Amino acid sequence: MKGLLKTLGIFVFFAQLWLPVGAWAGVSGQDAKVLERLEELSAGIETIASDFTQEKYLAVFQEAMLSSGRFYFKSPGSLRWELTQPVVTGFVLKGNEGHRWHQRTGRSESFDIDREPVMKIVAEQLLACAGADFDWLRQKYKIVVEAQAPVRLRLDPLFETAGFLNYLNIQFSSGGRYVQMVEVHEADGDYTRLRFENVVINQPLAEELF
Amino acid sequence: MSLSEYTATAYRYFSSRRRLLYWVTSVLILLSVIAFTGIRLEENIEAMLPDRGSRVAGDFALLQRAPFARKLVISLETDGEGGNAVLVAAVDRLAAALDPALFANVVTGPESQMQGRLFNWLQDALPSILDATDLEAIAVGLDEEGVRQRLQENYEQLLAPEGMALKGLIRRDPLSIYLQGLKKLSHINMIPQMRLVDNHFVSAEGKSALLLAETPIAMTDSAGAETLLASFAEAVDKAIPGNISATLVAGHRYTLANAQAIQNDLWRILTGSMLALLVLFFCFLRSPRAGFVFLLPMAVVCISAVAVSWFFSPVSAVTLGFGAVLLGITVDFGLHVYFALRRGGAAPEAIVGELARPLLFGGLTTMAGFAVLLFSDLPGQRQLAVFSIAGIGTALLLSMLVLPHLIPAVGPEQAASSRRWLLRIRRQRRLVLGIWLLLLAACGWQSMGLEFNGDLRRMSLTPPELVAAEQNLRQNWGDFRSQAMIWAKGDDLEEALVANEQLFALLQKEQPDQPIISIASLLPSAKVQQANRLRWLNFWQGAQGQRILADLRRESAAFGFSEVAFSPFFKTLNVPSQPVTLQGLRQAGLGNLVDSLVLAEGTAAEVLTLVPDQPELANLVEGQLQGAVQLVSQGRFRREISAAISHDFFRFILWASIVVVLLLLLLFRRVGKVLAALVPVGTGLIVMFGCMGTLGLEFNLFNIIACILVIGLGVDYGIFMVCKSTEGYSGATDKAVLVSGLTTLAGFGALVLARHPALHSIGVTVLLGIGAAIPAALLVVPVLYRGEDI
Repeated sequence: MKGLLKTLGIFVFFAQLWLPVGAWAGVSGQDAKVLERLEELSAGIETIASDFTQEKYLAVFQEAMLSSGRFYFKSPGSLRWELTQPVVTGFVLKGNEGHRWHQRTGRSESFDIDREPVMKIVAEQLLACAGADFDWLRQKYKIVVEAQAPVRLRLDPLFETAGFLNYLNIQFSSGGRYVQMVEVHEADGDYTRLRFENVVINQPLAEELF
Repeated sequence: MSLSEYTATAYRYFSSRRRLLYWVTSVLILLSVIAFTGIRLEENIEAMLPDRGSRVAGDFALLQRAPFARKLVISLETDGEGGNAVLVAAVDRLAAALDPALFANVVTGPESQMQGRLFNWLQDALPSILDATDLEAIAVGLDEEGVRQRLQENYEQLLAPEGMALKGLIRRDPLSIYLQGLKKLSHINMIPQMRLVDNHFVSAEGKSALLLAETPIAMTDSAGAETLLASFAEAVDKAIPGNISATLVAGHRYTLANAQAIQNDLWRILTGSMLALLVLFFCFLRSPRAGFVFLLPMAVVCISAVAVSWFFSPVSAVTLGFGAVLLGITVDFGLHVYFALRRGGAAPEAIVGELARPLLFGGLTTMAGFAVLLFSDLPGQRQLAVFSIAGIGTALLLSMLVLPHLIPAVGPEQAASSRRWLLRIRRQRRLVLGIWLLLLAACGWQSMGLEFNGDLRRMSLTPPELVAAEQNLRQNWGDFRSQAMIWAKGDDLEEALVANEQLFALLQKEQPDQPIISIASLLPSAKVQQANRLRWLNFWQGAQGQRILADLRRESAAFGFSEVAFSPFFKTLNVPSQPVTLQGLRQAGLGNLVDSLVLAEGTAAEVLTLVPDQPELANLVEGQLQGAVQLVSQGRFRREISAAISHDFFRFILWASIVVVLLLLLLFRRVGKVLAALVPVGTGLIVMFGCMGTLGLEFNLFNIIACILVIGLGVDYGIFMVCKSTEGYSGATDKAVLVSGLTTLAGFGALVLARHPALHSIGVTVLLGIGAAIPAALLVVPVLYRGEDI
């Protein structure tokens, strides 16, 4: 059960990265232009490598939880997410096959996303995002441009989120080429902020990363 | 006045009133045909299973209630290309393509929302289902370090991307007590080698997927089975790509295969049988009047059926079909009348009178053979007994009273053409006796290896492709369709659940390594649930629980958790939890499981446990819980049927032999004659047993009846030959016995050509038995009794 919930959480996290934009019917003319430009920029992305910091503002904690790690994406269909502080853990996805690890427990295991329904959804959404499948993402979210310089979007899910995801805020870099900050807002008021730093686009990535 | 005189007098009486005789006979036959149309027939196999409150009948009824007994099981297999996604997509396409009128309630996986609902249910149910052992395990696992470790995991999980989804679970159960509950779920996995892929049933190695469905078509409906399979093939063609195969495993496939085999067999058998009868007709009869002899069985079929309907309702269609074939033996009576009258040498009334005694006793011994079936535990066999007795009795009367008027006598005696070669052989007395004794010795020795098999499936045709499909299914998914079932019964659900708990506890204690499918751990009795809840409260209010909670508070603060972080958990410890109910399990998404394992009709209830079909488990359960539970399994059912057949067989043979010997004593009043009359039947049976033992053929429900047929006919041959050899009976006995035997071989022996195992086994039995009884009657009886030219 935790595996199911785990993959559902992963989905929510990744679904908001490297956001797609596309044929923006129903969006105001100015906003549509902004989104179309983002769509053009993201369409050429082959690889992404980035540091990230995570701030979790949860009622279950007395203070914000801070953590950091690395993120890698390679088209088509490969990604790596790893947390390096304060714990070392993470996972890699390559097509349907995945691998996850945890340094403290020493646990390391392979998995098949077909056997983990929520992980399957994660992979679908993530690959759609990274592969610039804007048609697919438009079906999943209602997207609103909240600010234009830098671009900040609000994404309200159109799918069932089991009641815990409320909406996402995405802020792009000044050039619009990559995501700079993501906020995941939960239904109970908790939220998580992710800041991406040292983002490198379309540089070769080592095969062993995946 | 003797029987011969009575018969001769009757002949004379009706000679001048033939029109009246024919009219009365025709009206009787016509009335029986009309009455026959009103008989209620039943086509299922239950008539061939023991009744009278027998355990086998009860077990058969329970076997029909196995979770997968009436399900259509569809297995899809991929060659590996495209992986699980292609397989799962094919499953969905096939499920959509199946005709809902024929394939109802198609299931490809658990309910999509089940996992979430089940988990919530499990958390709520923990106080009711965790027992003392579970709480002890919790206490041991949650020492200070254990609590710290759980909180560390919670902290890390909340830090990870999945944290948002896990937050609610962690707040309600920070100590992961649900893991103890998850162990209980392992006992409800009915398909051992199944895993879920995208919420679909997929086999462990990932190359097979499973669909389950129900159908309104009865398993015995061959026409419906043909429609069902055609519809399935059409859906497969439409929905499944070339690299995936789909196989339907269901009883309907057996039904259709058997129906088609019998249809094909009928043509082969009828053709073979008709050709053989035509050859016999042209070789031995050659007269249109002989046609009346062959009308005898047809004339008595409806009369026999009506007689059965007086005693039984409904009447088994299997019995009638088989009985109608059996009545083919009544031709023998007609043949004796025909050959005697056609041989001539005396006035017709004298010939008929002389024939009466051996004919009557021949008929009586055959009827006696079938009469022992009246004491069978199988209703179908009892019906067959009535059918045969009525048919043989009526045919006997028609042969003695009506048939002689339809076959004109020829006057002067005609020489028998077959007599010369028979005489030549009979003169080789030592050779005949030597060969006979050698044959008896060899066959007697070989008959030691004869076995009885009660497996109903062995009596039906099982096509190799269906065997392969079943084997494949077992290999991919485990043997989930043939587990032993243990029913815990009670006057109400609570009583049944108590019995089920006792059973589960016993199995867990004595056979902990056996895979057990039971709802006991998820649905304890109300009494046990109440005790569990009380123990749960006491645990958390007691020293161990308070220590764990203190550790939790202290360590959670150390990890930075807020004071409200685990308030949902603390709240559940103070609020009385609700009991686990059937309704709750259904709402949790376990409705199919509950319906399969719990049967509540009115107030009475039964709870099912599935275990591997192993004798030691059966012995354990019945030894310790006799009366409280009932175990049924296909393996044991086969053994019980086999034992019943074996028991019946020896009982029937013994009683048939006793009755036949008594009748023979009444007829001949001399032991020597009686023994001589028993030579054909004895030879037939020993040769039949010996050959079957040598060839590895087994006795089953059907050829036991054929065996009685061999007894009846073999004794007939013996009676006629002894009458001829010792009492100067002048009828054309040799020819009549020979042609009778040959017609029986043509009618029943032709069944050996059948592909269908039941028909084939009858054919083999009769072929061997009658095939040996004829030469024994024609050669051994005369040689043995007198040893001279007769």
